[in-house]
Amino acid sequence: MESLTAPPARAPLLIGENLGLRYGLHGSSYGGSHGGSRGGSAAQVIDAVVGVSLTLAEGEILAIVGANGCGKSSLLRVLACLETAPRASGRVEYREIRTSSRSVAHRLAAVRALVPQRPEATAALTARQVVRLGRFSVGPDESAVDRALGDVGLLARAELPVNTLSGGERQRIAIARAFAQLDRGGVGGGVLLLDEPFSGIDPGEVARIVTALRMRARAGAVVLTSHDPGLARAIATHAMVMKEGRAIAFGAAGEVLSAKLLSEAYRSPMREVGDWIVPDLTASQSTERGRMRS
Amino acid sequence: MRTRGFIVLGVAIVVCALMRSAIGPVSVDGAIKLALSMPAGEILAFRLQSVLSAAMLGAALGLSGLALQSLLRNPLASPFVLGVSSGAGFGVAAVLAGAYLFALPAVTFGGEVGGAIAGALITLAIVAWLGRARVSDGGDHGSGASDPTALVLSGVIVGAIFSAATMLLEQLVPHGLRGDLLSWMAGRLPEIPARSALATVCVSVAVGWIALASQAGALDVASLSDDEARSSGVDLGALRRKLFLVGGILAAVAVAYAGPIGFIGLIGPHIARKLVGSRHGALVPASALAGAALLVSADAVRQWIDLGTGRLPVGVVTALAGGPAFLWLLRSGRWNR
Repeated sequence: MESLTAPPARAPLLIGENLGLRYGLHGSSYGGSHGGSRGGSAAQVIDAVVGVSLTLAEGEILAIVGANGCGKSSLLRVLACLETAPRASGRVEYREIRTSSRSVAHRLAAVRALVPQRPEATAALTARQVVRLGRFSVGPDESAVDRALGDVGLLARAELPVNTLSGGERQRIAIARAFAQLDRGGVGGGVLLLDEPFSGIDPGEVARIVTALRMRARAGAVVLTSHDPGLARAIATHAMVMKEGRAIAFGAAGEVLSAKLLSEAYRSPMREVGDWIVPDLTASQSTERGRMRS
Repeated sequence: MRTRGFIVLGVAIVVCALMRSAIGPVSVDGAIKLALSMPAGEILAFRLQSVLSAAMLGAALGLSGLALQSLLRNPLASPFVLGVSSGAGFGVAAVLAGAYLFALPAVTFGGEVGGAIAGALITLAIVAWLGRARVSDGGDHGSGASDPTALVLSGVIVGAIFSAATMLLEQLVPHGLRGDLLSWMAGRLPEIPARSALATVCVSVAVGWIALASQAGALDVASLSDDEARSSGVDLGALRRKLFLVGGILAAVAVAYAGPIGFIGLIGPHIARKLVGSRHGALVPASALAGAALLVSADAVRQWIDLGTGRLPVGVVTALAGGPAFLWLLRSGRWNR
């Protein structure tokens, strides 16, 4: 990323340096330096993330925004260390948490938790059982499970099978599982990574999820991807705008999430309406008309 | 739910075992009249050995099915669907045919098991390679996860190829051995199991059971999405390698012992899920018990059906009963609930 680092106010919980992710269209992996595709029909590669750097401190909520396919989810996977060399490149560093576990997977589980875009609605498990799975590598702790369920407002529905809950409730259960994973005896902490947590969720559920995330961010940090720049600006302290795998802006949410930058990211005019940033349909129509005339 | 489920399974096994002990080609009280002039106690001992043999084989198939379903994250997977049984069958046939063609000494059960394990694991490796996730198809980016649909389709085709190859081998051996092979390929429980063979099955079941039970927590987490499981600290690669070995070896031992017996590995874990839920701490023993109950009952049923031409191979009974039951499960969508 080109000189777009926001100076952190507090000690960083997460540092990502020159992050990259490259994969082959036919499932092959490619290492080596970045910068374009290799030749040959079988060697078609995609640079999903190119040279992104960021830091994240305690109490911060970072929103990553950009058009479909710009690399938001890929960046989240790189940050979660779910992608490794040779596909992934760069350095991801979490503030070290003391743990007796020697397994890298277990140590990572104590410092970061990922909630994917469509959490699996596991049949025949209750909400409580799903949340309990978050404690797999950090040790059983029923009070952490209760706290997590309480934080997302679903303690009363904890004994229901998760596949009978609504989409929004399932999303909250997945978030609660991540909360339980990062819970250290009542203290939050760690970095919560959420891929599109608000997609397909009604406004009431969005508000409940935002409340839970804000509460959690007090003791840790949150990274989320979003398609809604207005919502991102409303809840995030920091933001990153991505385009074609690169970060074109990173900084305080209020500054970065501007109509101008987002118009560039979405390749479509955007305008600000109060606190919200929405597609500028009038401008889009006139641009389209102009194109047709010419 | 769990306790009630285990009580149901326990009662089912006892009832099936009693049924099987009471039915046989030679009735206990009439045994002395027949050529087999054996005391009733010995006949009963033989039958109990048959019950143990069927129960252990059923448990092996139930555990193998559960391991493969977890490996593929696909409730329709089984040793049959993945072609593992056919691959193991080819391994056994290759060992038998090879021994005949090269005039080697008689093949022991250990040799058959070796051939079956090689065939099963090679098949699984081929099928896993063919069914690996492709990023361009929306596969999981680099997690090593498999694409269930591609994997199952590959399994069906590879299984068909190995079945054809086994038939080809049959043509190379003399009539007597060919008849044995054909009978074995229909899935036939040995009437009087060799002790070493039965012991091999028992040890395999015990090892497979412990291996799966020790991974119960990781298997629960792995039932979430791959990313969630890995984010929670599960080493999915290591877990899948264990499932690969346990599923493949148990299926191979079962095939070497009794030929390919279908549907137990598929239906056993489904019945277990209905009875004890989806958590693997209970699901592992319940799948073994359900598989055991199913195969003992199928063995009892085949003893009861007397067509005057000898008893049916147990594989025929499991296919005739298990096939429609599975189709009903599939059609009603209950397998996914």
